[in-house]
Amino acid sequence: MTLFSTDHKVIGKQYIGLALFSVFLGMLLSLVMRFHLVHPDTKVRLFQMLWPEGAPGGQMTPELYLSLMTMHGTIMVFFVLTTAPQSGFGNYFLPLQIGAHDMAFPVLNMLSFWTTVLSLVTLLLAFVVEGGAPLSGWTAYPPLSGLGKITGPGQGLGQDLWILSIAIFCVASLMGAINIIVTVIELRAPGMGYFDMPLTCWGWFVTALISLFAFAVLLPGGVLLLLDRVAGTSFFIPGGLIVNDQVQGRSGGSPLLFQHLFWFFGHPEVYIAILPGMGVISTVLSVFSGKKVFGYKAMAVAMLAIGGLGFVVWGHHMFISGMSPYSSVAFSVLTMAVGVPSAVKTFNWLATLWGGRLRFTAAMHYALGFVSLFITGGITGLVLGQPGLDIYFHDTYFVVAHFHLIMGVAAVFAIFSALHYWFPKMYGRFLNERLGKIHFFLTFVGVYAVFVPLHFAGFVGNPRRYPDFKEYEFLKSVTGLHMGVTHAAYFLAAVQLIFLFNYFWSQRRGAVAPGNPWGATTREWTDD
Amino acid sequence: MTNVARTGQTLLVVASSMLFAAVTSAMVVRRGIGGDWVAPELPVCVWATAVLGPLASWLVLRGWVRGAVIAGGLLVVLQVLVLAELRMAVIGEAFLSVLVGAHALHAAAGVAALARWGERAGLFWHFVGALWIYVLFLFGVWA
Amino acid sequence: MAIAILIAALAGATLALFFQPRWWFPEAISAHARAYDAHFLVTLCVIGCIFVFAQGLLAWVIFRYRDRGQAVTGSDGSSALEIAWTSATAVIFLGLALAGQGIWAGVHLEGSDPRALHVEVLAKQFAWSYRYAGADGAFGRVDVKQIDDAGGNSFGIDAKDPKGKDDLTAAVLRVPVGRPVELHLKSRDVIHNFFVRELRLKQDVVPGMTIPLRFTATKTGTYEVPCSELCGLGHHQMRSSLVVMTEEDYAAWLAEAQQKVVLP
Ligand code: HEM
Ligand SMILES: [Cu+2]
Ligand SMILES: [Cu+2]
Repeated sequence: MTLFSTDHKVIGKQYIGLALFSVFLGMLLSLVMRFHLVHPDTKVRLFQMLWPEGAPGGQMTPELYLSLMTMHGTIMVFFVLTTAPQSGFGNYFLPLQIGAHDMAFPVLNMLSFWTTVLSLVTLLLAFVVEGGAPLSGWTAYPPLSGLGKITGPGQGLGQDLWILSIAIFCVASLMGAINIIVTVIELRAPGMGYFDMPLTCWGWFVTALISLFAFAVLLPGGVLLLLDRVAGTSFFIPGGLIVNDQVQGRSGGSPLLFQHLFWFFGHPEVYIAILPGMGVISTVLSVFSGKKVFGYKAMAVAMLAIGGLGFVVWGHHMFISGMSPYSSVAFSVLTMAVGVPSAVKTFNWLATLWGGRLRFTAAMHYALGFVSLFITGGITGLVLGQPGLDIYFHDTYFVVAHFHLIMGVAAVFAIFSALHYWFPKMYGRFLNERLGKIHFFLTFVGVYAVFVPLHFAGFVGNPRRYPDFKEYEFLKSVTGLHMGVTHAAYFLAAVQLIFLFNYFWSQRRGAVAPGNPWGATTREWTDD
Repeated sequence: MTNVARTGQTLLVVASSMLFAAVTSAMVVRRGIGGDWVAPELPVCVWATAVLGPLASWLVLRGWVRGAVIAGGLLVVLQVLVLAELRMAVIGEAFLSVLVGAHALHAAAGVAALARWGERAGLFWHFVGALWIYVLFLFGVWA
Repeated sequence: MAIAILIAALAGATLALFFQPRWWFPEAISAHARAYDAHFLVTLCVIGCIFVFAQGLLAWVIFRYRDRGQAVTGSDGSSALEIAWTSATAVIFLGLALAGQGIWAGVHLEGSDPRALHVEVLAKQFAWSYRYAGADGAFGRVDVKQIDDAGGNSFGIDAKDPKGKDDLTAAVLRVPVGRPVELHLKSRDVIHNFFVRELRLKQDVVPGMTIPLRFTATKTGTYEVPCSELCGLGHHQMRSSLVVMTEEDYAAWLAEAQQKVVLP
């Protein structure tokens, strides 16, 4: 029975399917949000049909907007960026590239996938329970997330389900991480050393190591938060609170403690999202410039450095949180230091292209687009990494622009690149190259049009997580900007249909691919 | 034990250690700033359970897996009894509950693994036994 | 080929946006805010150069090495280059980190000014209130049980404490121009955030903590205070104002407001 198959290739495809479903769902949610931001008073019948409680008479309430935002962020981060690059492509290609028959623990592998499905179902259930989905964002800071319904609709059962979903996801990711690490350590083909592995394998290996430590911290963080909600403990809830005129009988807890636990996971999480993509991009750039990757060893070492340093910079998310200003100084220096290996990788990619003979396949287009987006999204990190400057930009649209470019869109471009590159291996047929390139050009223009202007809303000081901007005089100046961004988002979403069509059509009708269509040298193409 | 099984268990041990380290550091921080810390009292009979882990390990090494399963199972049952006594509203006891609960899950998994795979799951069990001593030590001496 | 042109064009369009006057920082109204702007400009120049250099190089390499049937020539590694660009970026990045510490230190690492006007700031879902110590210069004790929003006692000033008798509470933050101000930020329920764009200051307000925030405004006017940490469904409406007044206006306001203090 293929549904519960233990074959790594099937499981890889299942993960990719799950991510594909999630990314389109997350995108649809973002369109609804973008619509509401520029038409806050327009009544929409569809909203009322979908969310009778959240949009009475079709008028979207602020709590509905915030719950869509929470679900959008959570779905994108966990079920797209943590799932497709690592568990999807990693499962499918890691064993092939190191010459193993399968993953080290095939049954565990199957269980990880279905645990992930369970986690997604749990999350989506939050939409239909009383009060709807939680409104505290993908970061779920207590006390907002720790006191139940009293802090807002969606903060009751919806928030419980959200925490439960994340806890289940942690378990699934830990199982997946152990599987990948053991596979790399024990199942490499005879004679293949660590530094003989393709960089893709390095990406999956380092990502699995990061996951092992990061999710092992998020899991207890989630459990403690859940206990604060259901068992009346005071891990994160201080004493003397009065919410909605009701005195809360807690004492001594620390909201900042949760933030430390969350970001100890949260910062490494962005590397979980991007490192496998970096591996893919290195491979694609090298294959289509007809050269080896420039500085292979430096690239592998840079990944390890990013993975390691990634665990000591979490405080840059907390510069404004009220933690000790002295620790901000330390976190800031470390943060700028972790930027160095990322910049080194960019230079190595450019040097890989240098002196080559570039073949502009669709996969190559996405890879080059990735590099451009990585630069654009990366340099703003040099602003946010300085606590003195973050003091203005924290929680503004500048941050939204920064993380969408570097973590969201860049990682999604890596997924597109990987799909075009490996599709012939996965389905024996090509994705249509012409459609692929058209999709690339339109998407590339679209993401710049959506996310670059948002930096400027940040310059104006536009706070994020606002369902509308009506209350403030100073936000009148960004009305036009947001209108433009929303239209660009419609455009961006519409052109994704090209990809969707290509993906399903080519599985059955695409041009039949030979065994090694790109002239690659890694084992998934050359073995057989 | 195959290499794959050994490496897999080692990584599980790493992940679990990280998890317990996270709870421990949360506890250190929370105790430092809360101002409402009261150390939970551990009755002597709880201390006595410390021997069950090593006892089961010894039995595994002697090849008497069934005995180890019984000793491990007894530990889990006693842990559940301890949990029932703890009050969540008192922060020290809440942390103890989390650690005992997390450990009970590990111990139950360890017992199941011993029952299923016998000595091959020994590595994980040795860790579980040591971890329990760590938890008791944490509360008996430090808290 | 086309992609090289597109990358260059998009990078150019991004740069061009910096030359529109509309979407930019508001006027700076303190010495700190001006120092902030100066350092931001330095940072912007540095990252702007990196941006132009990197995107330009990318576009050029794509153009230069497009497939024209040429032989592949480039090398696949060079320790000298790796060392060169690793140390160059390390110097630039860490240099920026160090250069930026000054403005951070100015806000958070300097001690409190003895002349400072102390104001307590209380955030709750979804409103702000401010408390002045009154003529005796001392804040009265607070007691959560005496909190009474409708009766004008959001802080819960303890009626039994004589120090609290002259405490003054207000819904708008008024301060005299040129005088150091020290805010003491508190929250009663969830995390909020106090943000004044013109001061280039932002600070989370965390329940269970009292967090100081210091500034000296140098220009009179009324400035909006948007809550900037997600605090629930009214987050986007949790608005307040900072009014910077001349010394005389401030004194006049204070005298009048002080008269109206109803003893709780
Ligand atoms: C079609 C493209 C996308 C659009 C138009 C879009 C739009 C948005 C909008 C409007 C917000 C809310 C901003 C706010 O109110 O603070 C948001 C938040 C967010 N988005 Fe996206 N997004 C897109 C793609 C992605 C992708 C690919 C990711 C993957 C990382 C992502 C991750 C997030 C996260 C993590 C948040 C924060 C949620 C929170 O504040 O809790 N988005 N996005
Ligand atoms: Cu981070
Ligand atoms: Cu707020």
